[in-house]
Amino acid sequence: MNAVILDGSLENNKVPDTVRAALTDELAADGWTVDTMVLRDLNIAYCVGCFECWVKTPGMCRFNDDGREVARRFIQSDLVVFLTPVSFGGYSSALKRGLDRIICLISPFFKQVRGETHHRLRYNSYPRVLALGTMPEADPESERIFCRLVERNAINVHSPGHAADVFVDNEETAAVRHRMHAMLDRIGVVS
Amino acid sequence: MNTAKRVLLLVGSAKQQTSTSEAIGTCLLERLHPAGFETETLFTHKASRSDEAMAELIAAVARADLIVLAFPLYVDCLPYTVINALEHIRDSRRSTTNHKDQSLLCIVNCGFPEAHQNETALAICRQFARETGFTWSGGLALGAGGVIHGRPLREVGGAARNVMASLDVTADALIRSEQIPKRAVDLMARPLVWKWVYLWYGSRGWRRVAKRNGVLKALGSRPYQKLI
Repeated sequence: MNAVILDGSLENNKVPDTVRAALTDELAADGWTVDTMVLRDLNIAYCVGCFECWVKTPGMCRFNDDGREVARRFIQSDLVVFLTPVSFGGYSSALKRGLDRIICLISPFFKQVRGETHHRLRYNSYPRVLALGTMPEADPESERIFCRLVERNAINVHSPGHAADVFVDNEETAAVRHRMHAMLDRIGVVS
Repeated sequence: MNTAKRVLLLVGSAKQQTSTSEAIGTCLLERLHPAGFETETLFTHKASRSDEAMAELIAAVARADLIVLAFPLYVDCLPYTVINALEHIRDSRRSTTNHKDQSLLCIVNCGFPEAHQNETALAICRQFARETGFTWSGGLALGAGGVIHGRPLREVGGAARNVMASLDVTADALIRSEQIPKRAVDLMARPLVWKWVYLWYGSRGWRRVAKRNGVLKALGSRPYQKLI
């Protein structure tokens, strides 16, 4: 089983090591192969909304850069982890720059999910999604928005399982590890 | 002393040609200008390309009394270029104090027919306003943005009548420095066309463009299929 961590840390706002270590230790202990992409260090053009990845080069972005690698590793993993400072309840710009490039993984055509319109699958299987946000201080509204966003993403990327949580930067290591294990257990990633 | 109110339209679409976000935002500016607003338009994707362009955007935000942020829904929330701009605005406001009273209005459009799919994006915008000290004027959500397809609203015809009516109500409220009323939100959220018509034409549109590009039979390609 392999996992890819999409690290959306910003130059001036990085995900604390306690969160990163708790995640990688849990996964390693359960035999996962873990790969990390630090998105701010990669060459990723921003999505220009041309839809060529749907109707000109189906399944692949026109930009031949690290954004293609984000999409490839996303779909080839069993688990994708969004690791991100929370920006206004959402993802950091660094993470979003990478995530905007994954629309090539779904079909342009539509289907109905619980009365809502969404895009059809392109691939047979999609990864589970775990989203870990970090903030300097607790903020219930930001946490609510963050969890809702992950829930919406999970529908659109056809994820078979998802979980989200927000950690406070100075949270104690034991508490972080406890919550991390509970989350991974809940979506069947670790036993 | 110039006392005219300044409104800044920030367009969050990265399209090279005219976008639906710009078309809607411009239509609103056209309603504010006769009421004495000075208007300016900037694009977040251009600001993302250089420090100078971002500095120009931040300076324009600082000058404005009202910011109208119009963008398309990308992966359930704001596009990268918009989040990047908002993070820069937040950072600049942390280093300065005594901001004047400024308001923020957000307009989100998505390609799905259901306007409510924009709700998370609007919640993020509202949270940005809360964290950075802007007065929240409100959020408008539009579904089936593909119907407008970047055209000026007056050229869209009857399908855009509720969008324009919403912008009329919105402009009236902004001119009075009030939060936009529920009626503006409801008008913007009304379906532009019947859902099945939109989905049928949308699917046909994808196939037509794919055929023109010679990839009709390859539309379901899986270039990253994992080899077992």
